Amino acid sequence: PATSAVSISDEPEILYRRLSLLVKGHDKAVLDSYEYFAVLAAKELGITVEKVHRPPKNIERLTLLKSVHIYKKHRVQYEMRTHYTCLELKHLTGSTAAVYLEYVERNLPEGVAMEVKKTKIEKIPEHIQEPVWDTLPQVEETEVKS
Amino acid sequence: MAAAAAGWAVSGSGRWPALARCCWRAEMVAYFSAPAASNREAKQREDSSRRRGRTSQLIRSHIPPRTERMAVDQDWSSVYPTAAAFNPSSVPLPIRMGYPVKGGVPPAKEGNLELIKIPNFLHLTPPAIKKHCAALRDFCTEWPSALDSDEKCEQHFPIEIETVDYVSAGTSIRNPKARIVTLRVKLSNLNLDDHAKKKLIKLVGARYCKDTDVLTIIIDRCPLRRQNYDYGIHLLTVLYHESWKTEAWESEKTEEDMEEYIWENSSSQRNALATLLQIKATENVSNVTKEELLASEVVRNYRNSVIALKNEGETASNMSQYKESVKKLLNIQALP
Repeated sequence: PATSAVSISDEPEILYRRLSLLVKGHDKAVLDSYEYFAVLAAKELGITVEKVHRPPKNIERLTLLKSVHIYKKHRVQYEMRTHYTCLELKHLTGSTAAVYLEYVERNLPEGVAMEVKKTKIEKIPEHIQEPVWDTLPQVEETEVKS
Repeated sequence: MAAAAAGWAVSGSGRWPALARCCWRAEMVAYFSAPAASNREAKQREDSSRRRGRTSQLIRSHIPPRTERMAVDQDWSSVYPTAAAFNPSSVPLPIRMGYPVKGGVPPAKEGNLELIKIPNFLHLTPPAIKKHCAALRDFCTEWPSALDSDEKCEQHFPIEIETVDYVSAGTSIRNPKARIVTLRVKLSNLNLDDHAKKKLIKLVGARYCKDTDVLTIIIDRCPLRRQNYDYGIHLLTVLYHESWKTEAWESEKTEEDMEEYIWENSSSQRNALATLLQIKATENVSNVTKEELLASEVVRNYRNSVIALKNEGETASNMSQYKESVKKLLNIQALP
């Protein structure tokens, strides 16, 4: 039943050497739960998790006047805390990455942002294998127009 | 009672939803004067007349929450199949959340806005995740087992393309930083000879890192990611072919343009040879040719030490090597 939905195409598979998910949010508990979910999903789908680390939080503080008019000595202070979690996955194919990322991005909680850094590895294209000057026919040197 | 309750439910969703909402949390009040008539219209007219003044009569009797009817071994993924707000009567957990009153406990889950505000993961319990992944596993493919280490990946697939996707909530899902493409390649994997490599390094300038031998090109010239990627490959092709070409003016390369120190035809070689020839002349030895002097071991040592000093910088070992070679060259073994 499920296998009938899977179609295999002839295109060569894209290879990702590393997939780095940086999740940003205001609430650390939400990020911790999300990290548990993402790590479990990766393990279940057979993806190696290289490392999970938590970059330090970033606090942006504002000091504003408390009153609409005058009263300069009385201010109010706000702060915005951004917590980060970074998940690094190793050695994924294109289809696995597409499946995992769609699953994980669809279940991103509200108020949380994510940056996905994909490192794709490729062969050298054929036109860079050999310099093309050897194969081109000899052309007469023309005067450089100034 | 059942008929009244049904009638109330119908009216709540249909005609007067606002009233239904504001009477939702009202206290339990016995509904005494329920009309026996089952006529819906008559009942609603009576209800509206009685609801003047927002009295809390005519509230349906309190139904026990769904949690009391839940079995312990139920299938939780059918209670919360998708992301949904926290509903206290659907979650059979005694959760308390919020700042406690002085000398008290945090407020209970009934009518607790803090529990509704925070995103919950009730739809992503470990069994639910396992079920989802079991269904998704058919669409995944295996990583080729031959490429298990980074060195093998480097050897077979030297070029690395790095792209970033941004996911966030906002008025627009687009992010202008998403079009940036970073291309990294190690020059040792490209087919370059000595002159081509030096010319390529001069062409790219700061984008080449000497310690790791990696050329990094960051492309954000075009508005779309695919265009930037194509431009990056085009740039690499042009750089590669241009570095294999030798222009006419490249023969005018001076000593300042050289990347590394070459001893042949340098002032150091000239000075050393001149000094040695003068020494030989004073000693009245028969004419020794330059090639013989160059090939002699003392001059070779001196040449190696000078090249090491100029290219690698001044280290203790380099300086001592230079001292030894100069002593041998000028034949002054007495000094320490």
